[in-house]
Amino acid sequence: MEKEKHLLELCNVSVGFPQKGKKMNPVTRGVSFYVREGEALGIVGESGSGKSVSMLACVGLLGGGGRVLEGNIRFLNGEDYIILNTMTQKELEAVRGDDIAMIFQEPMTSLNPVMTIGRQVEEMLLLHGDCPKEERKKRVLAMLSEVGLPDPQEIYGKYPHQLSGGMRQRAMIAMAMILRPKLLIADEPTTALDVTIQAKILELLKKFQKEYGTTIILISHDLGVIRSVCSRAVVMCGGKVVEQGDVGTLFEQPQMDYTKRLLAAALGKGSVLKKEPAVCRGEAIVCVRDYSVFYEEKLDGKKRKREVVKKVSFDLCAGETVGVVGESGCGKSTLAKALAGLNPLTSGSADISCENPQMVFQDPYGSLNPAKTIGWLMTEPLRLHHVGTKEEQRAAVCEMLEKVGLGREYYGRCPKTLSGGQRQRVAIAMAIMLKRPFLLLDEPVSALDVTVQEQILILLVKLQKEFGLTYLFISHDMNVIHRICDRVFVMYQGEIVESGDVDEVFRNPVHPYTKKLLGARL
Amino acid sequence: MRYYIKKVISLIMVLFLIMLLTFIAFQVIPGDSALSRLGVDAEPEAVEALRESLGLNKSLPERFFSFLSGAVRGDFGNSYQYGKPVGELLSARLSVTVWLAVLSIFMIIAVSVPLGLVCSRKEGGVADRIITMVTQTLMAVPAFFLGIVITLIFGLVLEWFAPGAYIAPGEDFGGFLRYMIFPAVAIAVPKIAMTVKFLKTSVLRELKLDYVRTARSKGNSERAVLWRHVLKNALIPVITFMGMVIADVLAGSIVVEKVFNLPGIGRLLITAISNRDYPVVEAGVVYIGSVVLIVNFIVDLLYQKVDPRVRIK
Amino acid sequence: MKQGRGQSNTKNWNMVIGIALVSVVLLFVVVGLFWTPYEPTAMSAALKNKPPSLLHPFGTDYMGRDILSRVMDGAGRTFLISIVTVAIGLTAGVLVGAFTGYYGGIVDEILMRLNDTLTSFPSILLAIVFVSLIGTGEYNIIAVLGVVFIPSFARVVRSEYIVQKELDYVRNARLLGAGNLRIMFVHILPNTRPILLSTITIGLNNAILAEAGMSYLSLGVQPPNASLGSMLSEAQTYLLSAPWFALAPGLMIVFTVLGFSMISENIGKKNG
Repeated sequence: MEKEKHLLELCNVSVGFPQKGKKMNPVTRGVSFYVREGEALGIVGESGSGKSVSMLACVGLLGGGGRVLEGNIRFLNGEDYIILNTMTQKELEAVRGDDIAMIFQEPMTSLNPVMTIGRQVEEMLLLHGDCPKEERKKRVLAMLSEVGLPDPQEIYGKYPHQLSGGMRQRAMIAMAMILRPKLLIADEPTTALDVTIQAKILELLKKFQKEYGTTIILISHDLGVIRSVCSRAVVMCGGKVVEQGDVGTLFEQPQMDYTKRLLAAALGKGSVLKKEPAVCRGEAIVCVRDYSVFYEEKLDGKKRKREVVKKVSFDLCAGETVGVVGESGCGKSTLAKALAGLNPLTSGSADISCENPQMVFQDPYGSLNPAKTIGWLMTEPLRLHHVGTKEEQRAAVCEMLEKVGLGREYYGRCPKTLSGGQRQRVAIAMAIMLKRPFLLLDEPVSALDVTVQEQILILLVKLQKEFGLTYLFISHDMNVIHRICDRVFVMYQGEIVESGDVDEVFRNPVHPYTKKLLGARL
Repeated sequence: MRYYIKKVISLIMVLFLIMLLTFIAFQVIPGDSALSRLGVDAEPEAVEALRESLGLNKSLPERFFSFLSGAVRGDFGNSYQYGKPVGELLSARLSVTVWLAVLSIFMIIAVSVPLGLVCSRKEGGVADRIITMVTQTLMAVPAFFLGIVITLIFGLVLEWFAPGAYIAPGEDFGGFLRYMIFPAVAIAVPKIAMTVKFLKTSVLRELKLDYVRTARSKGNSERAVLWRHVLKNALIPVITFMGMVIADVLAGSIVVEKVFNLPGIGRLLITAISNRDYPVVEAGVVYIGSVVLIVNFIVDLLYQKVDPRVRIK
Repeated sequence: MKQGRGQSNTKNWNMVIGIALVSVVLLFVVVGLFWTPYEPTAMSAALKNKPPSLLHPFGTDYMGRDILSRVMDGAGRTFLISIVTVAIGLTAGVLVGAFTGYYGGIVDEILMRLNDTLTSFPSILLAIVFVSLIGTGEYNIIAVLGVVFIPSFARVVRSEYIVQKELDYVRNARLLGAGNLRIMFVHILPNTRPILLSTITIGLNNAILAEAGMSYLSLGVQPPNASLGSMLSEAQTYLLSAPWFALAPGLMIVFTVLGFSMISENIGKKNG
């Protein structure tokens, strides 16, 4: 039997970037994997795992002075292999676009903002081969309609900012696929898109793989995306390949700890952290009725109020954790901010049994004032509400630092010397300094890596027990919600479309949107 | 279309505002100009007569409208010092200032665009480092000191031109241009340095963006990436910057005209200020102000022509 | 895309040279406040237009005055004027910028329209207009340049506040119960420090250049007092017979401005 053909092989590849001075700092070490002709390979890993860098190294697009330090990257060109990492830029230019095409994560910034879509797609034909002018336009229009863009004639003359995110990504795909490349490298192609559009873009990629036999390498942090497209996958972590194999085996019987952890987080198989379900007794601590939140918008010079949250009603009991889940733009963050009192444009009623409820924000890099020390920041709530003397305030802050697992030595440190997880601990500590019973958590773990996520969730559960807190937990991540919440509200376009006990909703979703959200998981 | 009409209306409104402010500044705040010209000891009848002839007896709005209608026609009254109509004085000096500005703006564009691109093509290379060092130093040289150094080296030591011996364009146009090159260089050099730096920063910022990676991934050569993709994007902020540079060139010409003894509008304005010749000052301010505004207006239009993102349906 | 290897080194050198230049200039200025080799306004018919010598390192001018003493004295005057000017512009600019940027609304819109119009005019032109109204002289020039510099400071501060007020740390402070004034000046203001620092150095440069320009046009410091600009204006007449007369004050301006711009460049780069 003929030896099976590998279209691209990475052999022991290390990629490095220059650090201060002259030394090269390796970011990947000894990466080896291959992709067969016509297959779809997934590369999985968290940000910084070296998955994108490895692929950029293949086409010589590392930038920033980065280069392949050792190893070989071989690409099958006709009958023979060419060694990509020893080729000159000039030689690589002929390969790029023609044999190996790429699409990237952010279709808005990845397209030239001052060039029409048509010209950007057409440029591929100009760069590789000589196609007469009339022919070119015809091919571009055909390609635009092939990727499912309505009215290609009109799209041809449009600029990227005039299209929606999904349409832009389709245009990117049209550009990448117009020359029928042997290999398509898709770097997080759906991460910036909504769930519904995500699925369609992935369908499109699968279609091209089937129809033209295009080999696809799909880079993603999302195991669901990998599973829906790829037949094999490579798991990367910290610049190394951890594990590789068929998607079926890899996902059913992972061998390595890291893969298991990734899968656990993705599958929602992580243990349910909340042991005893909260029992509602007595009065509700939060009581929301027909609550609408508005944004002021300027359209054609006229101010208009847009209803972002539409007449929601719910109660929260003391000690429970209630999740609000939905996609970006569904109004869940807006709801939280309005409840905290950050948006005055509301109607209906929201009775919260405590004054100024506190909130923990998503991005721990933005929520701590970079000009102050941790101690100053944590003392600020006490100062503002005149709680205790200076010494008492200091003691209270130190105690709280211990409670969130940081220790008093953090008192004098600046936020910029802390990691994301440590910052989020400080943010949580600040929020509970005033001992208010109700806490709003706005995607508190979304910006963190899987392992750190776990620690923060455990901390939240511990603190809830200790201080008797009630959480409203906003998240787009169904699995996180499942692990920590008692009840869940599903929000879609500003409305709560489904609510109920977490287990119940996950087991028997009723609303079609909930089903779709759950379906997008692994 | 509506966009243009809006722009034109706002331009007219700001021009009107400038006229109003000038009027308030030079005709209301200084007080009775008839009295101040004739002195406190003057005969009351004489003061009254001068008031009458200057139209100072009318109400303020009336005076403003006659000022406005005069300004629109280019009539700012007579200069106190020369006794001639201000319009005449200005138009005689206009060509010098305009030529000076045009020559230096031409130099700025012709020199700084290629230099900026050379710098950004190989950041940290020899050419970049030398150009960066030179531009940084030149930026610190005020135009009038540069003018003095140029006069010293090219006028007095090398004797390429005779300092102070300005040649009117009517006499000998070639000689006029040859003389004007030197003041134009004095104005242009610091601005070239600034523009090179700005352009370089702009190109380098663009080179870090995602679409450049896309362009490379399509198989574009570095040259094509720079010319076809980056340049147009990088020039967008430079257009606004050039608007500021042009305004600065006009201001610089006020000072440089003195260095090279040029009979331009700047000289006229400075002399008028020292002599409290208010009609001339008024006219000079309105003139330079209008030019700055119109340049900014053109820059705005150009900007929205080049950048499709600000284009309005 | 390639980063030069020596890049980080050149940056440091920039800072070192910048600080060195500014320190030398400052030394001149500070010493000049208390002591100059000769009385800056003392004339001598016997010493007219003498080239540099041991007794007069920078030579003497057309009235026989010692140029070194006059440069020290003049640089001091130029410096003081610039510092006070920037202080006025900065204080008023921070107040205007903070309030307009933080609150926004109709007042902000009107003020910023006005601001845009003003900043599109070269500052020296505005200064000339003001001077023609209130007259020449040292104090007038400080008042005029101070006012003229307000809009540029206000603009920088305002845009910084517009960005900062949307950040989560400000929301957080509001949730904790901090009032608007406290948020503006205790929470946000320290975060504008980097941008303020580089704006101040650039502002100092602009003030020095503007003062020199105004004095060169005889609209600023009046004789017999020395200022770098007015010295240049006097020196121009004697350019051929006494070129040192023009070079000393001119190079003083160049070194000062170059020093500050190198420092501000480095501050700017450090903050990304």
